[in-house]
Amino acid sequence: MDIVVHETGTDTAVLECTGRLNMVSAPAFRETVATVVDGGHHRVVIELSGVEFMDSSGLGALVGCLKTARQAGGDLRIAAPSEQVTMVLTLSNIDKILRTYPDGDAAVANWA
Amino acid sequence: MAEHRLDFASPPDDVTAVHEFLARVWGTEPSVGPEDRMAFELALVELASNVVEHAGGAARIACSLDLAVRDGGLEARLTDDGRPASVDPSVAELPDASAESGRGLALVGMVVDELRYAREGETNTWTVRRLIR
Repeated sequence: MDIVVHETGTDTAVLECTGRLNMVSAPAFRETVATVVDGGHHRVVIELSGVEFMDSSGLGALVGCLKTARQAGGDLRIAAPSEQVTMVLTLSNIDKILRTYPDGDAAVANWA
Repeated sequence: MAEHRLDFASPPDDVTAVHEFLARVWGTEPSVGPEDRMAFELALVELASNVVEHAGGAARIACSLDLAVRDGGLEARLTDDGRPASVDPSVAELPDASAESGRGLALVGMVVDELRYAREGETNTWTVRRLIR
């Protein structure tokens, strides 16, 4: 999986992800989010439009990163999930704890 | 109707082998619709992830994945020579929302019509079937 970090504000960052979020990529994904949060960007948006596949390892990583962001006083939002990612979020009920936005801009804009 | 087979060993292979295998299979099976592909890919990658993580541990395991595309549905069998599984797939439930693991088999159960596990001799066998409506 490829991750491009866009630091969109002093405390916000949008992580544009491409590829698969599974057991192969989840450790590096967690590490990237932890680094971004450590760097002061504790409001994190995970932009998922380029992620064609996510499984329970990816879900676990999202939940872990949500905790990381909240422990730093921030939050984590997801944007533009593909059909496959939406299916997995819905089946797992994680859509109840992770807010989803239509795109990265909408996720950041609404952050008051 | 057609049958497809993938043999892999972990390490060095990982679930990427399963993703790439399925991409090839779907390329030759245009009759399988996108929803069935998504569901079955999730099921097979979850099962393969479990095998790589739990059956293997630090040891190398050899796995085979047989996938049959029939008129009425998709059927797959994943075998490995690793340690026996310690879970009962028929009672796999979603953990608490804050859990960071333990959702794999529960998700598999949601996207297939049949999920079975058997230990025979030194071999683990996972079987899944999804009916095509």
